[in-house]
Amino acid sequence: MILIDKLCYHSKLRYINTGVKMAYAGITLLLCIISHSILVAGIVLGVNAYLTIHRGGIPRFRYLRLMSIPLVFLMLSTLAILVNISKIPLDAFAIPLGSYYLTGSIQGLYHGVQLILTALASVSCLYFLSLNTPMTDILNELRRIKCPSILIELMLLIYRFIFVLMDVASAITTSQNSRLGNRNFKTSCKSFGALGSALFIRAMKKSSALYDSMEARCYDGTIRVLTENYPAKQSQILLLASFEILLTAITIWRLLL
Amino acid sequence: MSKKQKQMVALSAALAISFGIIPTANAMHIMEGYLPPLFCVVWGVICIPFLAAGFFSIKNTLKNNRKSLTILAMAGAFIFVISSLKIPSVTGSCSHMTGTGLGALLFGPASVSILGIIVLLFQAILLAHGGLTTLGANCFSMAIAGPFVSFGVYKLCLKLKVNKLVAVFLAAALGDIITYGVTAAQLALAHPSESGGVGASMAKFLAVFAPTQLPLAILEGIVTVLIIIGLETYAKKELKAIGFIKED
Repeated sequence: MILIDKLCYHSKLRYINTGVKMAYAGITLLLCIISHSILVAGIVLGVNAYLTIHRGGIPRFRYLRLMSIPLVFLMLSTLAILVNISKIPLDAFAIPLGSYYLTGSIQGLYHGVQLILTALASVSCLYFLSLNTPMTDILNELRRIKCPSILIELMLLIYRFIFVLMDVASAITTSQNSRLGNRNFKTSCKSFGALGSALFIRAMKKSSALYDSMEARCYDGTIRVLTENYPAKQSQILLLASFEILLTAITIWRLLL
Repeated sequence: MSKKQKQMVALSAALAISFGIIPTANAMHIMEGYLPPLFCVVWGVICIPFLAAGFFSIKNTLKNNRKSLTILAMAGAFIFVISSLKIPSVTGSCSHMTGTGLGALLFGPASVSILGIIVLLFQAILLAHGGLTTLGANCFSMAIAGPFVSFGVYKLCLKLKVNKLVAVFLAAALGDIITYGVTAAQLALAHPSESGGVGASMAKFLAVFAPTQLPLAILEGIVTVLIIIGLETYAKKELKAIGFIKED
């Protein structure tokens, strides 16, 4: 199943008010990309790692593994930013290739490091939210801030159906594997096509069955669910506000320099 | 071989190997925090008219037929799941398809824009592919540009009496390539090169992602054709229900 979704139900920070968590992740994320500074990124990385691993109780190796997911994108695109092909060598490094140079400047290298750290810090904000808050809580919070109800219902149903379809897909994959369906490239192409079409047919069948059962339970166009409420504590709001003010101050200081 | 040629061969071999062992080559989600704030906002604003159109089209369909809510939701979940499945590959690296091309062919590009942004949000939160601040940019490349091109190519091919399966292949593959091109352009605009500006930067991004994205586009085309063949064999009734096949 989906690892992040499984972990977030175990998090010790799960029952903290969702609004507080979303505000923390959102504001910190914004300050990260606005400031674009190594100092802010470092602070955010540290604080998020502390909150998620020590306070949330997410295993350290899991957290590190998850942080490495976007590494491929980061490596490839930062490579494209750092390395220039030009006739004039720049100041940091220059590898001659015929009459051209693979080259980069010190300014560019500094910019690259800044970018990598900012991106990693932003990802850690995203992880803080997704590793400590179940999707249903996020949807409830979105409903509270008056997101259109059609969208919320669509998201709720899609979230539910993802797991239904994943179950089907993993069962089909297991049976295909046990019948040597993924033995080589040709058979695996064939299997994937079969898997995709079977999945679609199942999806359509399940959706009509679901509609029938909702209709049988008096569905009138809106899905009503009971929500649990965890009011925000004063101390949490105070902590949140002081941390964000500190971060804003650092951001303004770095931007003015 | 001269020394230089040997170096070139070694370099290209190293490059090939590095691409072979890269664990996941996803469809190109721009990662969280990679775009400056201005670009996040601008791409978000560009998406709004398409999303509004999608929203109203969905609202209208729902008014006419309440049952389509569950079908739309299934379509969204289908796109998410199909894009999270490993697709077969020659090199052994594991890559995923976009799924939005197939979605656009089956459900129409307008509703895929809304489903696409929901799927992208879930991918960001549940799988850490893409991000919240880059949602606008990713939405434009994957849920708007790609699907609209796919759908346009498909309709154009049918007008020109091209074989239907060829049309499906072209639609899915071109949709993928457009997504890749648009993402490279978005990255280039946000991070122009020090020598040569946006153009040079775009060329570099295209070059860096080409080894993973071009084979992926072809594979996505093949896989989409196989899925459509399967559907036309076993699911004629369902395809008629969503309007992919005209009633005879």
